[in-house]
Amino acid sequence: MTLAEQISQAGGAQQVDASYSIWGALVEIAKELSSSRELTRQLILRDLRIRYKQAVFGLLWAVLMPGLIVLSGLVIRFAVVQMTGTTFERKMAAALAVKSLAWGFFIGAIGLATPSLTSNSNLVTKVHFPREVLPLSAILAQGVDSGIGALIFLFITPFLGIGLSAALVWLPIVLALLFCLTVAAGLLFSCANAFFRDVKYLVQMFITFGIFYTPIFYEPATLGPVGAKLIMLNPVTPLLEGLRLAVVEGHNLLVPLSVQAAKGMVVVWSPWYLAYSAAVAILGLLASALIFHRAEAVYAEYV
Amino acid sequence: MTVPGVRCIGVSKKFRRGEHHDSLRSVIASFARALRSRPRAVEKNDREFWALRDVTFEVEPGQAVGIIGANGAGKSTLLKVLTRVLRPTTGIIDVRGRQGALIEIAAGFHPDLTGRENVALQGSIMGMPAVEIARKFDQIVEFAGVSEFIDTPVKRYSSGMNARLGFAIAAHLDPDVLIIDEVLSVGDLAFQQKAFGRIQDLVKSGIPVVVVSHQLDRVSQLCTHAILLDHGSVICQGTPAECIAEYLNPRRQGFTAVAGESPAAIDRVTVESEGEVVSGGPLRVRIEGTVGPGGVPSHVDPAVVLVMNAANGALVSAIGSSGSNLTIAEGAFAVDVELQMNVPRGLYVIQAAVWNRRTEQALGAGPSLVVQVGEGILFAGSVQLNGRMSLSPLVT
Repeated sequence: MTLAEQISQAGGAQQVDASYSIWGALVEIAKELSSSRELTRQLILRDLRIRYKQAVFGLLWAVLMPGLIVLSGLVIRFAVVQMTGTTFERKMAAALAVKSLAWGFFIGAIGLATPSLTSNSNLVTKVHFPREVLPLSAILAQGVDSGIGALIFLFITPFLGIGLSAALVWLPIVLALLFCLTVAAGLLFSCANAFFRDVKYLVQMFITFGIFYTPIFYEPATLGPVGAKLIMLNPVTPLLEGLRLAVVEGHNLLVPLSVQAAKGMVVVWSPWYLAYSAAVAILGLLASALIFHRAEAVYAEYV
Repeated sequence: MTVPGVRCIGVSKKFRRGEHHDSLRSVIASFARALRSRPRAVEKNDREFWALRDVTFEVEPGQAVGIIGANGAGKSTLLKVLTRVLRPTTGIIDVRGRQGALIEIAAGFHPDLTGRENVALQGSIMGMPAVEIARKFDQIVEFAGVSEFIDTPVKRYSSGMNARLGFAIAAHLDPDVLIIDEVLSVGDLAFQQKAFGRIQDLVKSGIPVVVVSHQLDRVSQLCTHAILLDHGSVICQGTPAECIAEYLNPRRQGFTAVAGESPAAIDRVTVESEGEVVSGGPLRVRIEGTVGPGGVPSHVDPAVVLVMNAANGALVSAIGSSGSNLTIAEGAFAVDVELQMNVPRGLYVIQAAVWNRRTEQALGAGPSLVVQVGEGILFAGSVQLNGRMSLSPLVT
């Protein structure tokens, strides 16, 4: 083939490239990621090795963050108990622990994923590989950490009054949705941070104050009939509440739940809440994966 | 099975220089500014900058293409486009086969990890499957010569050890297509030779190779073809010697004769001797030139000079016709020069000029000539000492 023919062919190829297909892009992302499994594994190992290598705490790192959240929650709970004259239940501590682990994973993963493109700029500007592996491996490394935390939690469950129940089948589903939501946020924020360096400060702020807009230290019911519904707009809320109900209360998540409060009946759970979170997590994941992939070609010019 | 190769067709790459909004804050601020004042469209074109313009070339198996050019000519951008780190603004890049890139070879190293851990990490970054890394691990460590320190964090390595380990990983990739960026000067002399030998083996094995290097002699030794880039455009494409000659051409480098008065010019410089030029051997060069009508003005004291530079640009020797008592007059002239090439093997650039001894300025610089000097038998090393030896038996 002559060069002239190739050039005309090349022109044709570009036109094909111009017609963008969402399905094609998703297939491409999946293919690239599956061919980068070893790289992802190595990057996770790198993150974990660095974290544990020179750490005096060792494995305590994994429980430090959720442990701190639990302790803070206990202080607040204790104050509430003192004020209202109610009694402190062991289940409150269990609920706190479950939610803290999940929340710790969510914010830890986002905190690590957001700067992942810029902190690996020496790689991004020099070597070609699917950029998704950077935020993804940061999230998975945090997942390993939180997994260790969850194992330790498993040992203390008998003391917290948690038993086995059929509702535990919801656990993997809710965790999978939480993972999807985390990856969605991680991809979106790391992409944005590649172009705008102050995104990571915004994300840091959002992580710090997010705990007030997510019912971890308090129950949604304490916000009243309207507040309990509004707080569910935060897509993390139904996931954390779902975890608590399934693990601590042994509640089937398909069954709605209402409690009697001072100002009337409060709907604390509806399967629609979970459906809402699932929709945000899955659609968000697809959208942010596509955005991230679209921008992939120019990261090397911006980081 | 596809034949491995590199095709680069009409590739251009545009960058924007100048102000870059890299924070939301500045975007919001400039958006507010834009709302108040009218947008100015004129600035856009000023800030565009073409790092590559319509670059087209092909590398087939058995070919090694050297890319040379001054700093900022677009060499690194071209390599980044070839390795898909950057996407070209226009044009098509087609790299068939598993691509191995010897670029910034220790880019993926983390200082806190040990050599062993970094080999696994860097190998996977370069696309090696885990089993392959495990299989080649001993070879890599052996090649880098860091076996004693393989379980030491690389932050304790010397920069040479670091670079050697990085090179060793990249060199064991077994790629179908090899892309090399300025890694020929890694480590000490012994390692450089070892590394160069490794790359030579890869080139000889027949895989397509693209090399970027400032070491022109290395390019001439390694490559079968060369491309000279200047401000993003290909200005010469051919044999390494042709491109190197063009690159080192004094006229291209802005080293021109004094403007206005050029009563004499060098037209041609040719090699007259036949066969290979070797270290310590003879080289005959003919310099042809013309003296303009009216002859040489009286305020000019002309001499024909011959300047020889090594491929790295260093001046090797400059000789003039002063000692030979040559007088050039109106019309064409030819000067034959007999040289004894008492220089180590390598690539040399010969230029000739008519020199005004009164003002110490060149009147007319000629085109340059590139000579490849091969291994000789008279001497080895960098200088021929003209040693004379005599034998006298000692009576005890």
